[in-house]
Amino acid sequence: MLRDIIAKEIQDTIMSPKFVFTFLLCTILILLSVYTGINNYQAEQKEYSAAVALNKKNLESQPTYQNLAGIGTKINRPPQVLSTIVNGIQEAVGRVATINIAFDPSMIESKYSSSPIFAVFGALDLTFIVKIVLSLFAILFTYDAIVGEKERGTLKLALSNKVPKDRLILGKAIGGFISLLIPLIIPLVLGLLILLIYPNISLSGDDWVRLCIIGILFLLYLSVFFTLGLFISARTTKSSTSFLILLFVWVTFVTIIPKAAIMTAAQINPIPSVHEITAQKDAYLQEIQKEAIVEQRQYFKDNPRPEKAEEIAKWNEDLKKWAEDFQQRLTSKIDERNAAIERDYQAKMRGQQKLAVNLSRISPASALMFGTMNLARTGIIEHERFLNSVKNYKPIFTKWINAKMMRSLNLGGGEQPKPELDDMPQHEFIPERLGDSIKRMLPDLMLMILLIIVFFMGAYISFIRYDVR
Amino acid sequence: MLEAINLTKKYEDGLLAIDHISFKIEAGEIFCMFGANGAGKTTTINLFLNFIPPTEGSALIEGIDVDKEPLKSKDYISFVSENVMLYGNFSAFQNINYFAKLAGKRNLTKKDYAKVLKRVGLQEEAFDMRTKNFSKGMQQKLGIAIAIIKDAPNIILDEPTSGLDPKSGQQFLELLLELREQGKSIFMSSHDIFRARYIADRVGFMMKGKLVMMQTKEELVGQDLNKLYIEYMHEHSN
Repeated sequence: MLRDIIAKEIQDTIMSPKFVFTFLLCTILILLSVYTGINNYQAEQKEYSAAVALNKKNLESQPTYQNLAGIGTKINRPPQVLSTIVNGIQEAVGRVATINIAFDPSMIESKYSSSPIFAVFGALDLTFIVKIVLSLFAILFTYDAIVGEKERGTLKLALSNKVPKDRLILGKAIGGFISLLIPLIIPLVLGLLILLIYPNISLSGDDWVRLCIIGILFLLYLSVFFTLGLFISARTTKSSTSFLILLFVWVTFVTIIPKAAIMTAAQINPIPSVHEITAQKDAYLQEIQKEAIVEQRQYFKDNPRPEKAEEIAKWNEDLKKWAEDFQQRLTSKIDERNAAIERDYQAKMRGQQKLAVNLSRISPASALMFGTMNLARTGIIEHERFLNSVKNYKPIFTKWINAKMMRSLNLGGGEQPKPELDDMPQHEFIPERLGDSIKRMLPDLMLMILLIIVFFMGAYISFIRYDVR
Repeated sequence: MLEAINLTKKYEDGLLAIDHISFKIEAGEIFCMFGANGAGKTTTINLFLNFIPPTEGSALIEGIDVDKEPLKSKDYISFVSENVMLYGNFSAFQNINYFAKLAGKRNLTKKDYAKVLKRVGLQEEAFDMRTKNFSKGMQQKLGIAIAIIKDAPNIILDEPTSGLDPKSGQQFLELLLELREQGKSIFMSSHDIFRARYIADRVGFMMKGKLVMMQTKEELVGQDLNKLYIEYMHEHSN
């Protein structure tokens, strides 16, 4: 009997105009999003390679270490292959960080800052389609699942037979969900095939595992809205009421809760603005500069330039050593202080972010976004990890450039040596391991499972008590 | 056999929808229940189908108390609802096939379905048509076919002739007579006194949840049922 109910649900949906419409729209949107994702990724790869080559050329063309210290080196963030599916925040945050002795590194040149038009509507990636379009379809498939049968009179007719109510709701849930999956799975498999055969797109075993888990998150997310639809449909007596309630809940889940969570977190846990942080850093820099002038004067007072020509060479050598040491001390002091300010700021910001993330997780849409971004390594966490790696690299680079700069000083005048980059320390970034990404997205996965259980149990109990008249 | 013993339904808001009614419909008998809207006819049917529990008394199908053994009792009952719309994307065949399976009739063939559909007067060209394109009368005929295919010993019909044209209405009454000949107990709620009086073995008038009158075909001989109904309604409304 269960099989008959499932088969009827699938057949009834497949033969309906809404299925044809959903299938066509899903196919077009999913394939379009994969194609757009691949194109974007390839363009970013090209840009990345060009930027890395340009930076190398730029560094090599610097005439002196002083010049090199001034312009610094640029660290470009490599694009993530799974951004083809989950665009994440990577287009909103910067892709390049400049490392020099003067300033703290920060990520600049985001796609949105260079082409603001892209920021207006955001990216059309697969996550967006699942989050917005397919969740709406899930509602469209279920809003009248129970109440519609009541309105038609078929519920009474079915239950006038030896059909237990629990079997009927289970059959409707399974059959309905399979019907919803058909327009999703077929274009998704086609999209993955495109990803597989497209040149210059190489997915590692690790990436495939990530993709599979992203797929599971998509299914869970749709299941949340599907079971919610069943629940509301089993709580209402008119399909129009059911649809309106579901639409309201959908808008709340998808748009209101995520935004409200961020605003609430900012109110509960305020953090200083970037300008305040910059002002703190500038104030300390000025203080240090004043101290440096005093120390410099003191050095020259204690070590006046000798009159005798044979002593000048030694004096110059001592001065170079002192200057190198002085420069290292100065930059270390600034770096340490800036790092302390930054640590404090980052801790506060992380606190606010954590609160916003946890508050917004009430919404399955937020759970989907966080979960998929963590898996695709295109989210906030991976961005912060990259930024931290850049910040950790800064003292390594400045130590190297300071040493080179001071050793290359030619106090007697004449030409300075051209920079040699062979021993320049390289920035290294290890993307998050699969195990860590999975651990990070587990709360989102569990939350969606919990919502599915709650909504399905709600639908089940409501249907058992449902007035079929 | 269908039997109501002191059957009572009082809703939570205090409305007494069915007030201690008792009747028995034997095998091969047609019982027509008349009454105005809200008199309690459909509530009686809902009690027999266990869509609502009784407050007092029992509804028995083949001696089985529907409140105590609802699933078992449903093996012995077919139901034809008023204005059933069925699954619009399905054809008549697909609809009857689904409900036949729910009724436990798993070995029926398309030929069996076609035979029943013809029997209720549905045109052959409509068998494969989507039922969303069916007229109200065609939907009703299909609903009756679904009840017949179950082949239960008892049939409950809620205003079955409401969507039928005169010819179809006549065909339907003939069909009920055939079913009676087969030994089915038939309970029919209706407003259609004119048609129902020719087939009913017994009639009952319901008003405000009470079964105010019950007469056999023999007792009705020579009486104008329509007039009798109006008189009863008038008498009991005062």
